[in-house]
Amino acid sequence: MPESEVVQDIGLDEYKYGFSDDEAHVFRTAPGLDESVVREISKQKEEPEWMLKFRLKALRIYEAKPMPNWGGDLSDLEATLDEIYFYVKPQDQMERSWDDVPDNIKTTFERLGIPEAEQKALAGVGAQYESEMVYHSLKEEWASKGVIFDSIEDGLKNHPEIFREHFATVIPAADNKFSAMNSAVWSGGSFVYIPKGVHLTTPLQAYFRVNQERMGQFERTLIILEEGAQAHYIEGCTAPVYSTDSFHSGVIEIVLKRDSRFRYTTIQNWSNNMYNLVTQRATVAENATMEWLDGNLGSKLTMKYPSCYLMGEGAHGSIMSIAYASDGQHQDTGGKVVHVAPNTTSTIISKSISKGTGRSTYRGLCKVHEGAVNSRSNVVCDALLINDTSRTDTYPYIEVEEKSATVGHEATVSKVGDEQLFYLKSRGMTEEEAMALIVRGFIEPIAKELPLEYAVELNRLIELEMEGSVG
Amino acid sequence: MNPPQVMSEVVEAEESGISLDQRAVERASRDVPTWLKDRRGHAWSVYEDTPLPTTRSEEWRYTDLSRLIDFGELRLATGESPPADRPLALDEAMAEDRGAAGHVVLMDGGVVQVDLDPALAASGVILTSLRDAVDDHTSILEEHLATEAVPPEQGKFQALNAALWTDGVLLYVPKNVEIELPMRVTHWLSRPGSAACTRTLIIAEPGSRVSYVEEFLSEDFDRRSLQSSAVEIIARDRAEVQYVSLQRMGRGIFFQAAQRALAHADSALNTLNVSLGASVSRIDLNTSLLGPGAHGNLLGLYFGDEDQHFDHNTSQDHIAPHTGSDLLYKGALDHRSRAAFRGVIRVHPGAQGTDAYQTNRNLLLSDEARADSLPNLEIEADDVKCSHGATVGQLDSETLFYLLSRGLSRQQAERLVVLGFLGDVLARLPLGGVVEKVTRAIEQKLGSG
Repeated sequence: MPESEVVQDIGLDEYKYGFSDDEAHVFRTAPGLDESVVREISKQKEEPEWMLKFRLKALRIYEAKPMPNWGGDLSDLEATLDEIYFYVKPQDQMERSWDDVPDNIKTTFERLGIPEAEQKALAGVGAQYESEMVYHSLKEEWASKGVIFDSIEDGLKNHPEIFREHFATVIPAADNKFSAMNSAVWSGGSFVYIPKGVHLTTPLQAYFRVNQERMGQFERTLIILEEGAQAHYIEGCTAPVYSTDSFHSGVIEIVLKRDSRFRYTTIQNWSNNMYNLVTQRATVAENATMEWLDGNLGSKLTMKYPSCYLMGEGAHGSIMSIAYASDGQHQDTGGKVVHVAPNTTSTIISKSISKGTGRSTYRGLCKVHEGAVNSRSNVVCDALLINDTSRTDTYPYIEVEEKSATVGHEATVSKVGDEQLFYLKSRGMTEEEAMALIVRGFIEPIAKELPLEYAVELNRLIELEMEGSVG
Repeated sequence: MNPPQVMSEVVEAEESGISLDQRAVERASRDVPTWLKDRRGHAWSVYEDTPLPTTRSEEWRYTDLSRLIDFGELRLATGESPPADRPLALDEAMAEDRGAAGHVVLMDGGVVQVDLDPALAASGVILTSLRDAVDDHTSILEEHLATEAVPPEQGKFQALNAALWTDGVLLYVPKNVEIELPMRVTHWLSRPGSAACTRTLIIAEPGSRVSYVEEFLSEDFDRRSLQSSAVEIIARDRAEVQYVSLQRMGRGIFFQAAQRALAHADSALNTLNVSLGASVSRIDLNTSLLGPGAHGNLLGLYFGDEDQHFDHNTSQDHIAPHTGSDLLYKGALDHRSRAAFRGVIRVHPGAQGTDAYQTNRNLLLSDEARADSLPNLEIEADDVKCSHGATVGQLDSETLFYLLSRGLSRQQAERLVVLGFLGDVLARLPLGGVVEKVTRAIEQKLGSG
């Protein structure tokens, strides 16, 4: 079959994007994290005094908080924290146009298909190389509507009032150990502001890339939608393979004002030496809708639980996630919904696949506060196990203080059925093809929500991964 | 032994009381075989080395012990001087136990009555007080008591109980003996501020069948008191064991039970926990499926009112291949009552062919009631069928409306719906003889609410 030949050609053993460019950074801090590093970052970025104070306060919180004693195994990471470079600045200047982007960086992006994506008239491309935005464009039509899509640094510089009003209001530094760390050393990320009533029909898109061994990336994103605004933000990650562990710890804050609607799509395919510890949360006002679409395919360990705080009456939150854990990987993911206001609704749909020695964990919270009258929440988790060495866990927390609330959770765990395989083989498929088809069918309800090029890539990945998984 | 000395000790115990401390362990270790003395001493050292669990630990997330119990205030109930008159409520409860293969009555931590069908005794069945069993069946206790099933290492309360237990029940059913009627055990606590530590050891030999129903009772107390219970069940190949606990203690009581069942090949284990009484109730229940073909059925129901607090912590451990388990816990919560359910299905590596299910459903009847549910799965084998579900909701308005339209008062209608909701659990009980009693107990509580 031609298709499977293509699959063979790509090869399984090599990580698809496992190339790396020569390191050409301009400035980096000493390894490890202390006050001088934080001051240096703030100085390099020419930040206002309040931000430096915020960073230093966050550093103290970080130092005081213990490592989490739940989730994945963080002991290796903890042992190497002193060797991590917390800040690397690739260039002195922000690039204005594609032509000005250095060739080696451009080569990397081309191999990731970014120019292609732009040709497809994707709205704005914020490409992050190492710790800062090096290339950034925004369609003029949107600029005229007052939409802001900037690097987080420029957001702070150019829109100080909006920035300060919302920054760290959704995720305070003290939320957890890693949000505190991020708050102290954040660098890079996006600042998005959609004014009242503006509807963006094509998605905003950002690519992320970590390109230096032992370099942490502390992306910080702040997104604000004014009343009645609508938008879709897409973030995809790939990273080169290195022999020692890498570390990514982001904080994504989203503020949705009344009647707004927002979708945040992430596909994470870090190389499998990456620790990916992300805090992402949205506050959702009256009649607003937040949708998280979360795909976790790569990394060594991911701990990420997109959250919706339903603060206004009639707010809706939705979290759809796919986790894929292959040999040596642990995807500890899930979602949180907190119902604070009356008549709020939420759904969580989670699908996970564990293969080889991979482990997928669903960890979720559904909390209904007293007074969140007639709130409804439904959580469905399905786990598929491919091999007898695979593992899956489900840890949902359900906390209900409101009599009129209706909350349901269900989860199933299963393996690919012998009858299913037998049937497909009897129709002429190889075992691998049959397996890939079944797995694709399993994740289809979520995959169909993805933008086309991501869905195609996801399907390709599953075909690759299912090779050699049988027998 | 010198009788006058014992008398004076009893008097001392009743006057000032025996604190839960090292001296109490030494007192309990007098005139006992060395193995038991060592075992109590070991358990006490585990107790001392185990910090009081806090809400920072997952297993105690929803029950803050530091606010609910103070071990220093409690005085050990020794069972050495039971109340002279049998309490009326105890007799009333026992009067319902028509049809029993045997009875045991415990008052304030000591057995005061044991009777067993003579035909069963003749066929080798043992039903006896644990204190007597130390002398009469010492090899059984040495092998199984607080070793395999509920060793002190399992937690603070388990260690306390293993160090200080004063009495309890041994039930031994020989190979292939099938007992039709249940064993009925009734516990009564009469002293406010006391701590009763009792244990139950049930051993069902291959091919045997038995049902064990125990009930916990007391008056309402204005001082915190503790009933601590450790239940160890060993079901050998093809044995069928039913264990039912009906907890109807008075307010003021902290009820704590650690129950563990070891299920060997092709055995069937059925447990039911009914929690209606006490101010605080914490039950740890584990079923370990150790042999192929073993099956566990874990049922529970709870109904809280006022400021009652129920905490269930269950686990289903699938260790051997081709085992099954099914858990259903349902509860209704009125007034300011709270319930926490934390349950985990663990499928261990190699336990292929596991079928495991887990369901927790809660009904909130009041604006101030609260339910927390954490149904967990940890699956390390791939050829399994596992699912779990948890819900929190209110009374079904359509059902209520129907009943109101048939002329029932709102209160009557609500009672019926709650009974139906909880009664679901009883319908799953495979062995008879207790459904009526449990139903009546729920009705009684609903009526008073």
